[in-house]
Amino acid sequence: MPDDAPALGLAARPARSRARLSRSAPFVVAGLAAVALWVAPAVLDTFAVNVLTRSMIYAVLAVTVDLLWGFAGVLTFGQAAFFGVGAYATAMALTYLGATPEWMAVALALSVAAPMALGLAVGWLSFYHRSTALYASVISLVTPIVVTQLIYSGGEWTGSSSGLVGFDVLPLELEGFFRLAALVLVAVTLAAWVFVRSDAERALVAVRDNDARCAYLGLSPKRLQIALTTVLAGVAGLAGFVFANASSVVAPENAGFLFGTELVIWVALGGRGTLLGPVLGTIAIDYLAANLSGDLPFLWQLLLGTAFVAVIILLPGGLAELVRRVWARLPFGRRQAVAPRLVASSPRPNAAVSGAPLLKIENLAKSYGSLTVLENIDIEIRAGELVSLVGPNGAGKTTLMRCLSDGTEPFSGAVSIGGASTAGLTPNRIVALGVGRKFQVASVFESLTVADCLLLARAPHDRLSPIGRAETLSLPQAALDVLRMTGLDRLLAEPTRLLSHGQKQALELAMVVALEPRLILLDEPTAGLTKAERTTIGAVLRTLTGDGVAAVLVEHDLDFVRQISSRIVVLHQGRLALDGTVDEVVNSELVRTIYSGGAHG
Amino acid sequence: MADAARKVEAPAGGDLVLEGVTSGYGAVSVVKGVSLRVAPGEIVALLGKNGMGKTTLLKTILGMTPLSGGAIAVDGASVAGLSPAKLVALGVGYAPQELALFQDLSIRDNLRLALSSDKRLPEALERVFGHFPFLADRLSQHAGTLSGGEQKMLILARALMLKPRLLLIDEISEGLQPSVVDRIATALAHERAASGASMLIVEQNLDFALRVADRWAVLKLGEIDDEGGVDETARSRALAHLGV
Amino acid sequence: MLLVLDILTTAAILFVVSIGLLAVFGVLKIINFAHGAWLTIGAYCAVVAAKLGLNPWAALPLAFVVGGALGGLTELFIIRPLYRRPLDAILATWGLGIVIGQLITLGFGRDVQMTPNLVSGTVEIFGADYSAYRLATLGAAIVIGVAFALTIGGTRLGLSARAVIMNETLARGLGIDTARVRLFTFMMGAGLAALAGVLLTPLTSVDPNMGVGWLIGAFMLVMVADASFLALGVACLVFGAAQVLVSTFVSPILGSIAIAVLAALVLRVSPKGFSRA
Repeated sequence: MPDDAPALGLAARPARSRARLSRSAPFVVAGLAAVALWVAPAVLDTFAVNVLTRSMIYAVLAVTVDLLWGFAGVLTFGQAAFFGVGAYATAMALTYLGATPEWMAVALALSVAAPMALGLAVGWLSFYHRSTALYASVISLVTPIVVTQLIYSGGEWTGSSSGLVGFDVLPLELEGFFRLAALVLVAVTLAAWVFVRSDAERALVAVRDNDARCAYLGLSPKRLQIALTTVLAGVAGLAGFVFANASSVVAPENAGFLFGTELVIWVALGGRGTLLGPVLGTIAIDYLAANLSGDLPFLWQLLLGTAFVAVIILLPGGLAELVRRVWARLPFGRRQAVAPRLVASSPRPNAAVSGAPLLKIENLAKSYGSLTVLENIDIEIRAGELVSLVGPNGAGKTTLMRCLSDGTEPFSGAVSIGGASTAGLTPNRIVALGVGRKFQVASVFESLTVADCLLLARAPHDRLSPIGRAETLSLPQAALDVLRMTGLDRLLAEPTRLLSHGQKQALELAMVVALEPRLILLDEPTAGLTKAERTTIGAVLRTLTGDGVAAVLVEHDLDFVRQISSRIVVLHQGRLALDGTVDEVVNSELVRTIYSGGAHG
Repeated sequence: MADAARKVEAPAGGDLVLEGVTSGYGAVSVVKGVSLRVAPGEIVALLGKNGMGKTTLLKTILGMTPLSGGAIAVDGASVAGLSPAKLVALGVGYAPQELALFQDLSIRDNLRLALSSDKRLPEALERVFGHFPFLADRLSQHAGTLSGGEQKMLILARALMLKPRLLLIDEISEGLQPSVVDRIATALAHERAASGASMLIVEQNLDFALRVADRWAVLKLGEIDDEGGVDETARSRALAHLGV
Repeated sequence: MLLVLDILTTAAILFVVSIGLLAVFGVLKIINFAHGAWLTIGAYCAVVAAKLGLNPWAALPLAFVVGGALGGLTELFIIRPLYRRPLDAILATWGLGIVIGQLITLGFGRDVQMTPNLVSGTVEIFGADYSAYRLATLGAAIVIGVAFALTIGGTRLGLSARAVIMNETLARGLGIDTARVRLFTFMMGAGLAALAGVLLTPLTSVDPNMGVGWLIGAFMLVMVADASFLALGVACLVFGAAQVLVSTFVSPILGSIAIAVLAALVLRVSPKGFSRA
């Protein structure tokens, strides 16, 4: 690192002071907004104050929908349910317990805790290993329907279809509620804004982009998604608390599926994934609706519906995208991407290289229906070995890799890593055992930068900050070597979708190496790479195994295999055909015939 | 076998010309500037290892992967930007490598899907039964119940249904017993002798490829690495480029 | 015994309401959230037919044609640009549903419309009087189901549609014009939805938002059926039974969410729903 650090530091300095400036921007904007909204009731008429209070509460919900949909990629109609639960918890507490300060505090606590409990349940139901985005949307659709029906069946307790009215509320005037709503909105938006610029937010985007890669970096996609759902359910409940107090009416529609879809419409029109877009969009649309729907009730809905369809098809980024396009044209509008500084992490104490095998595969077999893909596979691999897995197409090499790295894959036989069985373990838990896997097709996060991808790979070691961006990125020496040899260290701020095929392969390798695995699984790491890139990857692998890491390599390029392997295993038609030293295997007649296409059975 | 067929003058075969063809997925080019010709009645083998762009090239010709540079012409007319349906209507038959059958449909339905109407179905079925008689008795069986070799023959039979003028075949010999490879080689030779069809066959099985083809080319990292006619030097030259 | 009839007729109605959505989901892999709006369009075709003084049964072909034609326009202009964005397609079709609902409100007002009964009176069956129309829906479901099965199993369009469902890439490679298959399938799905709308008129009130209530149930059934026609039949019977039993013995309100809750749980346990069984 020492050679590069000064140069990088110099180049980065002006950018860094700008970064500090842009880091304070949310606080400045939030402060100004809070002041403006505080004085606003003095100049607005009663109708506007009333309507805007409601609009701002809805905007809080829009922020939660945007975080889930725009950032984490979970299309949700369920925020209405959490809002409704929060509002009903408040209304019921105030109706049946009273509005003394103590009970008000209880109502506030309930309005957050109850939706969070429901959010936890919904999250658990929606997100599991191999769950789909569509399923989460289905559950988010069912939730408000169930909540609404429960409200209907609550009889006197919930006021059934007429809702609850006339309970005592916070002792505030109209202006007071306006200011309360404004403060909550500013605070929630500011928190969300800080969060989406933090390292932790990158994990959400990563899950949206490629949840498989996340799991194979040892992150638990479902845990992240469940946590997000739970927290945002609490925020929606808080909005419900303010709503119940400000309007002193709650009705089943507040928790309904239709309201949930309205939230999505507002967020879509404002511009998903931009936070401010949905906030301003929601306030503008709700305010316009209140003004126009009196005179032109159907026409207004018609216009809104048409605009929504048009935006979804033609302008998926919403109105914010239009603004952003204009902004990007302006000379000062282009933001310089800032990447963290690379430093070498202190090497982990090497586990004593014992004689016991690191990876042990016993009698592994796998079939899809009647088709047997693998059978009778027994392999042992020790620390420091580099074992190449070769064989023609369809020999079962990639399937074997999958069985090694995902314990939920249905197969028979046993796989153990460092003595621990992998049976039933999801990929992220196998990563925790010290296994890193590189996929055949380069698997990185397309919407993130090179530095962010590496940062996520280090998340199991260095926690991700939910409030800021780390200034340094510490990586093990081997990962730094990969970056330097491939020139990726100069592209840290580059979005990965702009990388070449070879650069993506190298980045993924660096990510896997950054995990500091004991066992590294590589599926055709050199496919489609240039000669120079291959040599680099070969050198990295040799250094790693020299340090006691074990590697399993699926590879077609026999030259490459010959150069770097310590042992070669040949798979043919799902069986272990040969397992021996490089010379034994390369000179065997079997391999020659398999590779020129003659061997059968 | 191929020698006998080559003598047939075959005006019925399609003339495929690729000029600097570049294509891929998103920003990644998998095929880079490939120029290649398959003359009427000619069989050209495209060799190369996995991930070198062979399948992508076939899909680009067929219009399934967008062409990002260069030109593709069939019989002198550009086919760039045409849908697969249009190419099939021009007489291009395709035998894909992976997931190439509707496993849960009958053999008959699998074959029917190659034609755009049922009018010429009996005639077309007779034609492919000539190549692979076992299909005739098993028309109502699901394709998924066939053995691996039978499935490959069904894939080829389906590509032959529309009496193609140009055949694109992707690794038809993969994982097959020598006897089945024989039957497939025979079927290809007979088809060319009978209809004069031109063929571009993607292969990793060098023995099979050199047996049926007139010319060969090796694709490496998306580019043509070497090419030549099938003669006594072909095997060693191709092997050298395949890196074995 | 009445309970069994209730279950059968409920399942029949669910089947009729869902089948158009199933066809679209199977072939286009798109969830048409405007499905409810097409039920409404169908019901208003019955209203129009009555105003024109036509035989009530004439509303069926009218709805099928109108629904199919509007479906064709929708596929061309709204669905086609969104094939690569299936979640956005849900939203765009939902927006379309809002637009259709408002257009109907502008044209017909928001009041409940009256339509003539297709079949009136009761039939004595197993010693009790039972609504003749509910029994007729059972027949309608069977007729629609058989016609659908014949189309899928016997025609070229059906074969192409099945090929697209099973493996769209391969179907394209064989020269099947998948764009045309999608267009026709969407038209048929929309036509069937409108047909179902007519059949619903004697059972529910006809108003501009009548379809929304049916949409969620149909959607959940289709999710569980996962594009399989037979699985849809099974799902309608099982969930229809659950709905009737919960409504009868526990509470009608819980009965109304039985389908959604049970379907969500089934999908959690087995993501492919009933189609594997």
